[in-house]
Amino acid sequence: MLGKLALAGIKNRRRDYLVLLAGLTMSAAIFYMFANLATNRAFIKANAVVSQASLIFGFGAVLLILITVVYIMYANSFLLSMRQHDYGLFMMLGATRKRVGELVFLETLILGTIATAIGIVLGLLMSKFLVGFLLNMLGLHLAHLTAAYVPAIIATAVLYVGLFILASLFNLVRLTRTTVLNLLHSDEQANQPKVKPFRQLIQGTLGIVFLAIGYWALAAIKVLQVMAIPVALVTITLGTYLLFRATILVIIRGLRHTAWAKKHLNGFLLGQLNFRVHNYTRMLTIVSLLFAMALGAITVGSGYHKQLPMMAKTIGTYTIAVHDKTPVEQKLMDQLHVAYTATYTQKRQGKMVYYNADEIAKQPVEQQRYKKSGQPEAQLYTQSLKDFKKSGTQDMDFMALALGKIGAYTPKILSAEQFAKQTGKTVTVTTIRVKDLQQDKKPLKQLNKLENKRFAAPDGMTVGSYQGFEMMNGFFGGLEFMGYFLGIAFLAMLASCLMFKILSGAPGDQRRYRMLYKVGVRQNLMRWGIAKEIGILFLIPGIMGVIDVLFGLQMFKPLMSAPMSPYLGIGSTFLIFIGLYVIYYLITLALYWRIVLPKTTTD
Amino acid sequence: MTTATTVVDVHGLEKTYGKANERQYRALKDINFSVAEGEFVGIMGASGSGKTTLLNMLSTLDTPTKGDVIVNGHDVTKMRGNQLADFRAQEVGFIFQDFNLLESLTAEENIGLPLALKGTASKVMDQAIHEVAETLSIADLLQKYPAELSGGQKQRVAAARAIVHHPSILMGDEPTGALDSTSARELLDLLTTINQKQAMSVLLVTHDPFSASFCQRILFIKDGQIGSELKRGSQDRAAFYQQILTELGTFNE
Repeated sequence: MLGKLALAGIKNRRRDYLVLLAGLTMSAAIFYMFANLATNRAFIKANAVVSQASLIFGFGAVLLILITVVYIMYANSFLLSMRQHDYGLFMMLGATRKRVGELVFLETLILGTIATAIGIVLGLLMSKFLVGFLLNMLGLHLAHLTAAYVPAIIATAVLYVGLFILASLFNLVRLTRTTVLNLLHSDEQANQPKVKPFRQLIQGTLGIVFLAIGYWALAAIKVLQVMAIPVALVTITLGTYLLFRATILVIIRGLRHTAWAKKHLNGFLLGQLNFRVHNYTRMLTIVSLLFAMALGAITVGSGYHKQLPMMAKTIGTYTIAVHDKTPVEQKLMDQLHVAYTATYTQKRQGKMVYYNADEIAKQPVEQQRYKKSGQPEAQLYTQSLKDFKKSGTQDMDFMALALGKIGAYTPKILSAEQFAKQTGKTVTVTTIRVKDLQQDKKPLKQLNKLENKRFAAPDGMTVGSYQGFEMMNGFFGGLEFMGYFLGIAFLAMLASCLMFKILSGAPGDQRRYRMLYKVGVRQNLMRWGIAKEIGILFLIPGIMGVIDVLFGLQMFKPLMSAPMSPYLGIGSTFLIFIGLYVIYYLITLALYWRIVLPKTTTD
Repeated sequence: MTTATTVVDVHGLEKTYGKANERQYRALKDINFSVAEGEFVGIMGASGSGKTTLLNMLSTLDTPTKGDVIVNGHDVTKMRGNQLADFRAQEVGFIFQDFNLLESLTAEENIGLPLALKGTASKVMDQAIHEVAETLSIADLLQKYPAELSGGQKQRVAAARAIVHHPSILMGDEPTGALDSTSARELLDLLTTINQKQAMSVLLVTHDPFSASFCQRILFIKDGQIGSELKRGSQDRAAFYQQILTELGTFNE
């Protein structure tokens, strides 16, 4: 009978349960995807060229587990907040605590198991399609990547079911410790946090000091090495927490006494925040850190994505050189977005390669100059024929245009008449510098393959910076992928954490908005009020997270040496990330509205 | 019908719950009455008699199936959406059995809410709040949160919130229901004072004869219809109380 009642209760709130189930399923799926990558040794061995990669995987795994724990905690409190009243009612009707306890335990566990099972299946599918799609988009290839990997399935199942057993036990204890009356009237009692100026001042100062240490540690990664990361994690967490505790309440208090607070629902908004933010400090801290990590991971990922071509550019003055182009190659070349191109006729004889001075005068060879620091200059330059004859022929890129089994031929420039008389094997070579390597990746790849087939230099090398780009892509591709993957996973988890924490407060708010409705507050005003309140709760960790990232990127400076910089082009990445965050905000808001806003007529 | 001296005018009011093809329940049948300006009217009835339904119709929290409700010249049944909200915010003051104070706001902020909704300037607002707090002798409670107040104090704060914007009528739904007898008497004295000094019309819904005895006129409602009416006239409260008890004795038979 009680089981039937419980089922009926779930049916009545099936939409809320669906949200909960969907969130948990997503979380399990994401965890599976990650576990699939992190536990697949063959995959890591094949791809972790960079020593940091395995470290990053390990770190990612620990972080993801931590987030999962927090996430399930909040999801569980959302579940409990939905069911409290029903459980109280059952007890009032005479059900024993033991019986209700069993019910709670079973309900949590069943929900969790279902979510885990669906999550793993979803994770499998996502590994198959989404990861493939992501890799394809990034133009990466990672070896030994399989969708179904048994150890990953086991790891996900054990972690999730284990956590849900813990959550069920927690619910059981919570429920058996509270009285029936408290369950029935489970409305939050407003405990008004007190403002203690002196203590808050100390907290604020300490918070800033901790943050400063954390940010410094990130920037000083060269000195601190791997230690920088745990140091920064601890100090930034503490600093953020203390700073939130010290400032948010004071700001709200300050605002409450202004005339602004006495307009429309502003006072109510501040009151709500005032008694919420205190409970939310810990969660906001966690979320702001997650936000920072997610944003940081994506920024670093996209940093590699954008900057690999830049790095490649410094390897050679032209993107690719095509010898004796075939009609197929010509077609491919027509697809390129050319910034500079030149075609030279070579005559190769013995160890020498001869060039026509007329051609070189008409299409001067682009060259790279280096600064004193060894950094390449941003702009290429060309020389007059006279100067080029003197020094330009020693240019590595120029010499590389004629490679043979013996290495590079020695170039010599002849006047047009001399060149015409010169005997030797005639080869034409076309150098092309494209505007944007990423943009022309596909035709370049094919061109490179064709060149390789016909004119393979000693180690299957062709010339041009594209070859270098391909090599580096293999080298850093794993990092790039991890960045994107972790970023998206963290974002999905953090936003869901925030969502559930906020939503678990919604049933308590129902009553408040009902009162406002009775007093005669317009529906629109209430909608706006809620939008503002939740918006602020999303905004606080967002701002803090962005600041964390701006400092945190210092950490990647040694990895992304000039001309790369972790800060390059972060604007668009930030925008996309914030866009996704806003979508989460809107979903939360819509759900909140649905739970909280009173229907227009009484029941 | 609506003259300047009538605050509430109810005409042929009916409320039926349930859809046409389902089992229907008529909560109110052909209710007619009016409240004059400055009058203190009580509506009495047992639980289930329809008195709260009636109050919900008057305060626009619910819509009638048939009939008219005119409050201070506004036809309530014709209003929609924001009009309804604005009407509640400006024309009606409410006191509920469970106080309906927002626990995240101080007493002062709770009282100021109706003014804030109107967009009143903060100086005018402060003055109005202090005035009403003086009248209800809760000036020393303004900075406290509802959780720090006793039931009686809470209800006085709620009363202050109900009258701070000078509504055309004050409606109470069992306002003494959750109070001890001393606090209840204090609140009823307070309502009487408000009614007399500020000439504010008061409509009190109750099942408690003691509370009802503070009214000038009482409408008895039974099974959704007004059964009888009692006027206090010149007799004192104690005598009126006896009269109510007698009336209840026969009315409920």
